[in-house]
Amino acid sequence: MTATTATLADEVWRLMTAQGILFAIDAPIRQTLSNLVAFFAARLQRDPASVQAELEAALAADERFTREEVNGQVIFVTSRQGRYIPRDTTDPHTFKQRLYEPENPLPIDDLSVVVSTSRPAITTVEPVYISDYWLEQARLVAATQMDEQPVVQPESQEAGATTPVVVEQPVAEGAGPAPVGEEPGVAVVPPTDVEEPVATVVEEPSAAPVAASATGERSTVLTVDGLSIDLSRSPAEIVAEHGPALERILAERLAQDPLRRIVSFGRLHYPETSLVSFGKNDLRKIRDYILERNEPLLDTEIIADLYYHNPRQPDYEGFRFSLNYRLSREKDFEFVGVEGANIWSTKGLPAIGSKRVKASEMGQLTSYLIEGFDDSLADQSVESIQASGSVTRLLTFFEWEYGVLPLDAALATLLPKPVFPDQRSAVLRFDSPQHFGTYLVEVRYPSGNRGGWLQGLEDFFREYLVPGALITISRTNAVNVFTISYEEGGETTDRLLTFDEKKNRFAFANLTFYCAVDEDLLPTQNRYGKLRNLKAFPMSERRKAEMILEHVCEAMGERGGSREQPVYRVTFNDIYVAYNVLRPASRSFLQALLDSHSAMTADPSASGTYFFTLPQVERTETEAEDVDVEEDLPIQPTLRRRGGRYIDEDE
Amino acid sequence: MDAKTIIFGDTAIDRLLQWLRASGEPKDVRDLLLHYLEILCKLVTEEGE
Repeated sequence: MTATTATLADEVWRLMTAQGILFAIDAPIRQTLSNLVAFFAARLQRDPASVQAELEAALAADERFTREEVNGQVIFVTSRQGRYIPRDTTDPHTFKQRLYEPENPLPIDDLSVVVSTSRPAITTVEPVYISDYWLEQARLVAATQMDEQPVVQPESQEAGATTPVVVEQPVAEGAGPAPVGEEPGVAVVPPTDVEEPVATVVEEPSAAPVAASATGERSTVLTVDGLSIDLSRSPAEIVAEHGPALERILAERLAQDPLRRIVSFGRLHYPETSLVSFGKNDLRKIRDYILERNEPLLDTEIIADLYYHNPRQPDYEGFRFSLNYRLSREKDFEFVGVEGANIWSTKGLPAIGSKRVKASEMGQLTSYLIEGFDDSLADQSVESIQASGSVTRLLTFFEWEYGVLPLDAALATLLPKPVFPDQRSAVLRFDSPQHFGTYLVEVRYPSGNRGGWLQGLEDFFREYLVPGALITISRTNAVNVFTISYEEGGETTDRLLTFDEKKNRFAFANLTFYCAVDEDLLPTQNRYGKLRNLKAFPMSERRKAEMILEHVCEAMGERGGSREQPVYRVTFNDIYVAYNVLRPASRSFLQALLDSHSAMTADPSASGTYFFTLPQVERTETEAEDVDVEEDLPIQPTLRRRGGRYIDEDE
Repeated sequence: MDAKTIIFGDTAIDRLLQWLRASGEPKDVRDLLLHYLEILCKLVTEEGE
């Protein structure tokens, strides 16, 4: 290279790097030869041909330039750091390859080992990519397992002489799945000569996959949670056989979908993307409206009154589903509906029914229903209730006083079941056709070891009925509306048991009623005068069944025996009436209590009569001293021992 | 498709979703199950042919 050409090359390099001043240090800077010739010919006032020859010679001799030809055009390439060297794009990192294609991969028993659909650390669940490598591995494992399944082989002729021979059914022409109704099976030949014509005796669906795998066919039998479903059959046949189980499994699987593509409300399902959006303002508006109406409302009422949606509109059902689905996910709203009537309650609504009995206490008082002492179906069978659509029962004092009814088997048969497994209660409407009145009744469903009950009938019972009245509850065309009626009778005035809340004691008062009653259950002063002696225990105490039984026997029984050890003689009917003054109980429950109680003995001379023997209480000297010491202290709650007496001071 | 490779409640859910979306209204789980079984039956029989 001469000094002139070196100078020219330097000048070209400075020119090109100036053009690419903002380029990366190793980025290529390109310039065509024609541009360079035009520039330098004008600048040096020389012939372009000689300039071109000089430029080509100068740049070819300089290492900083690389010559390229693109479409017949000469281009010189350089970079700010000198000679242009293309980048090496080879990735030296091998982690990705080692992760997805390990030399010694772990055995795959289950894809869930590899793929997690839930990621607790992230609040939003996202789909997890399953690499093709693992999918391929899973297929290989499945194929290996299919190959390893035992293949039914024809047994030897010697064995066939004594045992049945199992022969594969000819499958040469049956490469596809078996037609509907003709299940591939295994032919069992009776112990006879093998060369005789084979008679097909048994067709077992479970044999199909085995035979299919043995011949390399595709299996049509799907196993879902232990259920074998032959997909070559029609869907209707499959549903007829496994419908409820498959419904449950499908609903569970859809609920577990991390993308929540299909959402559900009760039995209904709908695409998540099709849901109508309800914002906070909508929820506040709905809540205010329910509070304004002062009672739980149907979803159709909310839609009609607040959104003016008409059932004839094509999107009505979708809108209705969206509303119910949204409300079900809000903690301010509670579903109190039944199948076919979506009723919503909200915080701040007045409680339905008497506040004198807490829900937790009623649950304990009706726990005998859960324990198996429910004899409500003795008079009316399930079939007759379902056929007639009504339940008839006698009212006890406790039910009359507090307006509650135990949710026994008879009522449970009549009333709708909860829609959701965790549904606490349902609100129904009870109409009184005799008085044109309407009452909201809350059905509290049993949960755990606590029984269920109905509440909200206090006003109706107290206004029109007396204990011992015969009431009938019937269903109507509306799933959430029932009627309650009673057998009317002539005007009757009698002194009946009442509960004086101010004095917290039972008393008799004159009451006039117009309903037919069962005389055995009517607590009149003439017949059940001793009911006055019953002590109005706090509700929390009344759950102690044995203690209440002892108290009832003492209060209602005829006293005998000695002064130190009195014996009370009491009839079963008296016990039943008095016991149901303090708390609800069935006859079978009382009978079980009497049979298991050590101080109760049946009177052999009179059926249905019992003796209750109070255990003899002996006061020791130590106890006497303790009493003397405690005389100066405030009155403490009496510690009642088993079999001890109840007196007024026990309060 | 081999029935052994089908995961009930996962395979072909997209098709079920498509049908549900096209219907335009919520469906009872019984209807959903029937249609899903139809899809699975088609998967098994059609590809087998």
